[in-house]
Amino acid sequence: MYEYEGEDVFVIDSHLHLWDATEENIVHEGGEQFIQCFYDYHTAFTPEEKQWSLEEYRKYGADRMMEDLFGSAAVDMGIFQPTYLTDFYDEGFNTTEQNAELAEEYPERFVLNGTFDPRDGEEGLAYLEELNEKYDLQGVKLYTAEWRGDSKGWRLDSEESFRFLEKCAELGIRNIHPHKGPTIRPLNRDAFDVADVDDAATSFPELNFVVEHVGLPRLDDFCWIAAQEPNVYGGLAVAAPMAVHRPRKFGEIMGELLFWLGEDRLLFGSDYALWNPDWLVDVVMNAELTDEQRDEYGVELDLETKRKIMGENAARLYDIDIEEKKEQFRSDDVTEEFGLGDHYAGETSATPADD
Amino acid sequence: MAADSLDGDDGEVSEAAVRERLDRVTDPELDTSIVDLEYVDEIRIDGDEVSVAMTLPTAWCSPAFAWMMTTDARDEVESLPGVARARIELREHMHEREINRGVNERLSFGEAFPDADGSVDPVRAELDEKARIARQHDATGALLDAGLSETQIAELTRDDLDFDGDRARVWCRDGGLAVRVDADPLERYLEKAEATGLLDDDRPELFRTPEGDPIDPDAFETVRHRTRLAGVNMSGQGSVCDALHESRRAEDRPPLSMRSD
Repeated sequence: MYEYEGEDVFVIDSHLHLWDATEENIVHEGGEQFIQCFYDYHTAFTPEEKQWSLEEYRKYGADRMMEDLFGSAAVDMGIFQPTYLTDFYDEGFNTTEQNAELAEEYPERFVLNGTFDPRDGEEGLAYLEELNEKYDLQGVKLYTAEWRGDSKGWRLDSEESFRFLEKCAELGIRNIHPHKGPTIRPLNRDAFDVADVDDAATSFPELNFVVEHVGLPRLDDFCWIAAQEPNVYGGLAVAAPMAVHRPRKFGEIMGELLFWLGEDRLLFGSDYALWNPDWLVDVVMNAELTDEQRDEYGVELDLETKRKIMGENAARLYDIDIEEKKEQFRSDDVTEEFGLGDHYAGETSATPADD
Repeated sequence: MAADSLDGDDGEVSEAAVRERLDRVTDPELDTSIVDLEYVDEIRIDGDEVSVAMTLPTAWCSPAFAWMMTTDARDEVESLPGVARARIELREHMHEREINRGVNERLSFGEAFPDADGSVDPVRAELDEKARIARQHDATGALLDAGLSETQIAELTRDDLDFDGDRARVWCRDGGLAVRVDADPLERYLEKAEATGLLDDDRPELFRTPEGDPIDPDAFETVRHRTRLAGVNMSGQGSVCDALHESRRAEDRPPLSMRSD
């Protein structure tokens, strides 16, 4: 558990990947450009002494991931969000099955999300059911902009997509995470336009739509939609590391998000291994709004707000009982392995989280 | 025009003149000059031919945006007296081949990208609209600071503005009173309001909601918040691009190992 000024903060990292971008796994030049672009994000925002080499970054493996998440006690639990990209990577970039390697070994520490692509039709529905049966899914990560054959992507508010969302509702997969981030493809359109979230959220009030990357760079459209749709949430992956080198800008973005969505609808995510939670949690917990930003937005980014963003909001969406988890984590395998007992010992704990 | 004074008396094109033209080209997503963003690597002048090399913050920068910037750069440089031809070289972009060929052979976007299912015009129009909204925030902010009321601002028309050098006069309807403010935010707003066709419709109001409707004075504050958000979005994205740009140009950056060229 992260300790902030003597107070414990339960951290659920809501955006994790266990990926393989080794040269052997790349089948298309796009796969190389993809990992290089990620690496640019990594080096652009990671403090210099915490940066990885490109080779480490291509494939870090399960042990390294466990150490990075829990070794420093920055994270208590994590949510896997798969990214298949099977056109670029032979075995996929990080599929549900690949992420399951860790999620199944440490089920108490991880939530495993699946995915669907409405272009797969009946087969896709069957795959979703199969994933659900195997892993008891609570969420799916979706890439509406992924190219496939002649298709330049799909819309969340299309008839085909609604069949899959109906299936999710029926199976109890409540958390829908559409990736709405920087534009990369297709060629002439804005593939990550967030407008399609609007109608989907209205049509499926029983589902939660967690827009990943808070729609950056369509934050304006995202906030306006979220302001009107109570079941729309914002995932902070990619926005969070701006707190390092662009703290003022981070404050402005948080100001807008808190102004339009409020503190109950924002979820922290590191997007590991884009960034390591060990330093990122620290930076976000220490981020502050300027006086000017507090006046402008009329919101606070105080400890209570941060507690919600760092874990409580995700816990609500994923039915995680934080107190019960703390109890369980006093003696689970991860605690044993990394010597985290003190963190979950309750009142007597006084060990700083990050030394 | 100011730029013409940058040309040498002997009719030769100067690098400063080329740079001034390129300065008029914006990254459409950020509404900021490509010169200020340091995308321009190199300018070479050979008689009446000019070559410009550019690198964007990431190889994955939207092909549509890259297309807009490279074609705009070509057209701006070629509008310079004494330039017969501008050649643009976009470097290290996932679609550099298609873009360089298309821009220099003067193909349409559809010809350069047979895979694309439309032109770049709708994307350009949308980005212009976002820039218009962000610029409206600065313009209405300047008018609020100058003491105009929300209702007065909502009712302003194009005819209520006139410009005198770097100052603008804003005529308020009730009282026939002119308020003088800095011209820059208003001129910048007008430029995008014109580009988006807002001033050509049959409504007279100068400022509008993001949807292009006149502003109900009771909803003025919400519209102000939405225009603020458009600006924060743009500058937030600018920070991401800026960080990627720095990272990409770092000396110890590993090479793009699997690139076929």
